[in-house]
Amino acid sequence: MKILIVEDEPKTGEYLRQGLSEAGFVVDLAQTGTDGLHLAQHGDHDLVILDVMLPGLNGWQVLQSMRQSGMQMPAMFLTARDQVEDRVKGLELGADDYLVKPFSFAELLARVRTILRRGRSGSESTILKVADLELDLLRRRVTRAGKRIDLTAKEFGLMELLMRRQGEVLPRSLIASQVWDMNFDSDTNVIEVAMRRLRMKIDEGQEIKLIQTVRGMGYVLEAPEGV
Amino acid sequence: MLRKLSLTSRLTVFFTLVIAAMAFGLGWVCLQAVERHFEELDRTTLQDKRHLIEDILSHANSSEDARQRLGEALSHHHGLYAQVKTAQGESLFASKGFASTPPSEKHERSSNVPRLETWLSGDTELHGIKFSVAAELLSASPLDIAIAVDTEHHRQFLIELHRSLSIYAVLAIVLSGLLGWIAAHQGMAPLRAMKRRAASVSGHQLQPRMPVEAVPIEMADLAQALNDMLDRLEQDFQRLSEFSSDLAHELRTPISNLLTQTQVILSAQRDVASYRDVLASNAEELQRLARMVSDMLFLAKTERGMALPHKERFYAGKEIHALLEFYEAVAEEKQIHLHLEGDGAIEGDQLMFRRAISNLLSNAIRHTPVGGKVTVYIKAESNGTRITVENNGTAIDPQVLPRLFDRFYRADPARSHPDHDGAGLGLSITKAIVEAHGGAVTATSENGKTRFTASFLLP
Repeated sequence: MKILIVEDEPKTGEYLRQGLSEAGFVVDLAQTGTDGLHLAQHGDHDLVILDVMLPGLNGWQVLQSMRQSGMQMPAMFLTARDQVEDRVKGLELGADDYLVKPFSFAELLARVRTILRRGRSGSESTILKVADLELDLLRRRVTRAGKRIDLTAKEFGLMELLMRRQGEVLPRSLIASQVWDMNFDSDTNVIEVAMRRLRMKIDEGQEIKLIQTVRGMGYVLEAPEGV
Repeated sequence: MLRKLSLTSRLTVFFTLVIAAMAFGLGWVCLQAVERHFEELDRTTLQDKRHLIEDILSHANSSEDARQRLGEALSHHHGLYAQVKTAQGESLFASKGFASTPPSEKHERSSNVPRLETWLSGDTELHGIKFSVAAELLSASPLDIAIAVDTEHHRQFLIELHRSLSIYAVLAIVLSGLLGWIAAHQGMAPLRAMKRRAASVSGHQLQPRMPVEAVPIEMADLAQALNDMLDRLEQDFQRLSEFSSDLAHELRTPISNLLTQTQVILSAQRDVASYRDVLASNAEELQRLARMVSDMLFLAKTERGMALPHKERFYAGKEIHALLEFYEAVAEEKQIHLHLEGDGAIEGDQLMFRRAISNLLSNAIRHTPVGGKVTVYIKAESNGTRITVENNGTAIDPQVLPRLFDRFYRADPARSHPDHDGAGLGLSITKAIVEAHGGAVTATSENGKTRFTASFLLP
């Protein structure tokens, strides 16, 4: 997957490039709107991440030019400005997402993956599997090593999210938004508590712990190598 | 044009105009009266002379005799002219300088009081009357007689009077203009005092107030209103500056932690695990800071009343049910029972509504003892929907209650930094959101029950 980042702040740009490269993406970085547009027109990117305030052309103009020349790849805006009109304008221009600075990298990564996953739904199996953990979407049943685990509806939703996005670190805000539809930062430890309870049901007494906490980032469900 | 004139000039102009109208009116009335009086005097004089002439003519036995007696009778009367003519136009007698009589429209022979006429003889203006006398001894037909008095004296007097009155009027106008200006200026003194007072008010100096007692009643209301405005401004300013210093304080601690921690770690070689540990801890701290900054921005925007992006009608029950599901795990940990009663419509932004109630719930759960109970009551009322979040727990000091919605306020200073406790912005965010919806929040605490009530208005 190839991502184009257009960001004039050198530190931000560099860290984004590093972070996304390490997450397995091929990353191009441009520092001005003009360069960004040029790269977008000549590279075959799957996603463009645009800062709004850019020298040369601003982020909106870049996206507008891209759309006018028929490029339909998804786009995401990063901005320090959080005005409703800005948000509306970005989305009207055909942006797929909008992140306000300061944002956490885990959040960005999760959203990038969400966007890239779109349109790739295809034939999804009704049974998700990670190591010896199995989740049956139709029968709403979870088993670990063949043993049935009782989960509440929300825990099931949480489990499904973790399994669908196994190996990805999911930030708390994304979990709150996807599982509970709480689309705002809340100052509670709800996610911690929910994860702790889920973990007790899934990993307690098991030799291999599947759910991991990544401090300062979020949670990840991952089968250790070689399992 | 009048709009640009100062109040003082305006009053002065009006005052002067009134005085001018009055002075000129009075002068005119005065002149008219004097003129009428002079006419009356002339009429009386002429009437007297008429009787005299009639008497002389009726007793004179010849034309010569009549002429002589008329000459004697009229000679010592200065400014009196007479002319006696026969019906044939033959002059019997004429005073010097009164040669020609202006033609008269008609002789009022029958009338006892003939009309007073105005004639011009050379440059002099005369008041005269014409009449006829039957004198059988002198003539067969009645004699036509004209007598007149010189009005020059009276005219001079009237001119003099006119001039005096004019001078007086002009002086009066000028003087009244001046006095009017002084009076208006004096009258405006309290206004200027208020202006000076207002000029001394600034961001640093909000204490001065308008002198309500010292100004006239008409302006006392204005002064009071201005004072109220200043009170509100002062309060807001106070809050704003407290807020800025709070903010600086809130940011200082985590930033200094981050800095110290990072520098200590950098000052020596360490194993990878330690670096990872510190970075993770820094990330957590930074996330807290980031959230505080976005909360602050959100708060600022909401308080400025510019953030009601979507307005739609939805039901509180459904939203709060979702929120209770969200908090279920946390509540179960503390064995707290969550309840929901009632339902009602809300018109506003759904996301903001959730956020507002979420903060109330999180606050309630945090302060409920283990095994306690949190109940949400939704009450639909005629003008909106009232949502009450009630929890049992230790009572909150009534003096503290209103401060709970202040930014960064924490009822318990000792709990200022627990994990995942917000920066103390949650309740102020709730307040800002509810107020952006035209509602209000209140808090009460009695009989071991704490209630937070948010009233949302329906248009």
